[in-house]
Amino acid sequence: MADGTPKSASGTDGVEAASGGAGSKAFLKPRLTGARFEGHAIPLEFLKDLAVLEEMVIEVAKWRFLKANLERKRSPRGFTDGVELKLTGVEEGSAIPVISLVMASATLFPPENQAYFEEARESIVAAIGAAEQNGAIANHLPETALGYFDRMGRGLRDGEAIEFTTPTQKTPVKLTRESRRRLVLASSQVELTEEQTIRGIIPAADQEAWSFHIQLVDGRKIPAPMREPHLQTIKDAFVGYNEGLRVQLQGVVKLNRGGKLQSIESVEHVSILDPMDVAARLDELRILKDGWLDGAGVAPSSTGVDWLTAAFREHYPEDLPPPFLYPTVDGGVRAEWSIGPNELSVEISLSQRVGEWHALQLDTGADEARSLNLARAADWKWVVDQVRSLAGGNG
Amino acid sequence: MNDDTLLLRQVNPSWVQQGRVTSQAFRPTPKDQHKLSVYDGDLISAENSWLHYTTRLQLASVGALAVTVMECKQQELSAVPDPEPFPEHAVIDFTGLGTSQVENKSKKLKAAAEVRGWKYQATAGEWR
Repeated sequence: MADGTPKSASGTDGVEAASGGAGSKAFLKPRLTGARFEGHAIPLEFLKDLAVLEEMVIEVAKWRFLKANLERKRSPRGFTDGVELKLTGVEEGSAIPVISLVMASATLFPPENQAYFEEARESIVAAIGAAEQNGAIANHLPETALGYFDRMGRGLRDGEAIEFTTPTQKTPVKLTRESRRRLVLASSQVELTEEQTIRGIIPAADQEAWSFHIQLVDGRKIPAPMREPHLQTIKDAFVGYNEGLRVQLQGVVKLNRGGKLQSIESVEHVSILDPMDVAARLDELRILKDGWLDGAGVAPSSTGVDWLTAAFREHYPEDLPPPFLYPTVDGGVRAEWSIGPNELSVEISLSQRVGEWHALQLDTGADEARSLNLARAADWKWVVDQVRSLAGGNG
Repeated sequence: MNDDTLLLRQVNPSWVQQGRVTSQAFRPTPKDQHKLSVYDGDLISAENSWLHYTTRLQLASVGALAVTVMECKQQELSAVPDPEPFPEHAVIDFTGLGTSQVENKSKKLKAAAEVRGWKYQATAGEWR
C-alpha cells in the first residue's frame, strides 16, 4: 500500500475526540464472562488486565503503519500523541466495559492515522481468535506484540473469558486462560506470568533481603519477594514450619514455557491456612502416584482435583465443619465428617462428578444412602443441608 | 484366636488426615476379594506387625489400629486365621454384603478401633 492508506480504514469508527466526544462510538466492547463478572460488575483488580490494551493497541497500530509503509523506518512524529483508551461505561449483561479510543484533538489527528488503530484492534482480535482455534497466531501479530498478552488477561480464572467482537469480527472470540497461554507462548518470551493462588509452608525467610521461600506440597521451594504488610504472617508461618503451618499466597507467578512454576514475581495476599483447609488437603492428593495403596490405588487426576477444589469453594460454606478428605482406591476422593454419633461420607468420582452419600448414626444404627450428581448445585446444597442439620452453623 | 484377640490393621499414610483415619481402612478393596487383611494380635505384637508390613512386605503404613474378634462378631463379620501368606495373617470376611452394609460395618469397626487408639504408631520420619 504505497500511499500508506490502510485498506480497512473505515473513517473514524470507534474513535472519539477528547474535545467533542458526544455521540461517539465505542472502540471495543469486550464482554467479561464468569461468576466474578455477574451482576453488572467488574472487580477493580481486573481493570489492570484491561489497562494493557492501550499500550498494546498503540504498538500494534505503529506496526500496522510500518507494514503499510515499507519505506518508513518509524511511525510519523506525533502518530500516537494524545491517544488514549478510556473506559467510558459498563454495559449490562455479564459486565461489558465500553472502551473508547480518545484523541487529544480530532483536528490535529489525521483521520487516515486513526484507521491504523482500528486495524490494530482487528489484528489483536484476530490473533485471539487464532489462539482460540489453535490456529496460526503469528499471521496476525508480531512476536513482540504478543508479549503484551503476558499482562492482558493475566488475572483470568478457570471458567472466565473476555469475549471480543469488532465491526468485521461479528462472532465473539474468547480470551481465556488457555488461549492467553497460547498467545504468550507464540511470543518470544521465555517465561509467562499468571495470577495464581498457591499453598505451602515457609521454610526460609530473609528479612534483610526481603524475600522468602514457599515450599509446595511436592517439596519444591519457590522464591518470593516479601513486602511489609505480609511480614508478620510470613514470620508466623516460618515459626510454624515444623508443625506444617501452611499459608495461602495470591500473586503473580512466573512459569516456564512448559507451565512449571519458577518463581513468584509479586505477592498480593498471604494468609495462614486452617489445618483443615480443603484446597490445601486436595493439593496433597495431587502428588499421589498410581500404586499409592500397596501397589493398587489410582492417583486422582489433576483436572478432577481442580474441579473438586472449585466445587467445594463454590458450594460448601465456610461456617460448616470442613470434611476430612481421603483418596479412594479407584482414583476418587472421599469426604468424611464425624459429627457427634453421626458418621457421614460422600465417595466422589472425579471423572463422573457423582457421589455416593452414606450417613450412619453409630448409637442407633440408623443409616441412609443416596446417589448424588455433583455437577448439580442442588445436590451440593443437599449435602450442605445434611451437614448443617447435624452440625449447626449460620443460616 | 478368641473373642478378645486383637486384629491389627495397618493404615496407609494417605488415609490419615490430622490424626483422623478414614473408615476405608476397615473396608476391603476390590483386590482383597471381600476379605480384609489383618494381623492376629495373639501371634504378633502391634509394633512387630508394623515392622513386618513395612520391612518384609515393603508396604506403607503409619501404624496399626485394632478391633477385636468380638467386635467383628457384633457386626456379623467372621474373623478367621489365614496363615497362607504368613503365619500371623488373618482376615475379616465381608463376603456377600452390599455397598451400604459394607459402609455401615466399616464405619462401626473404625469407630471401635478409634476408641481403642493406636496400638502402634510410627513417628513421621519412620513412615514407610
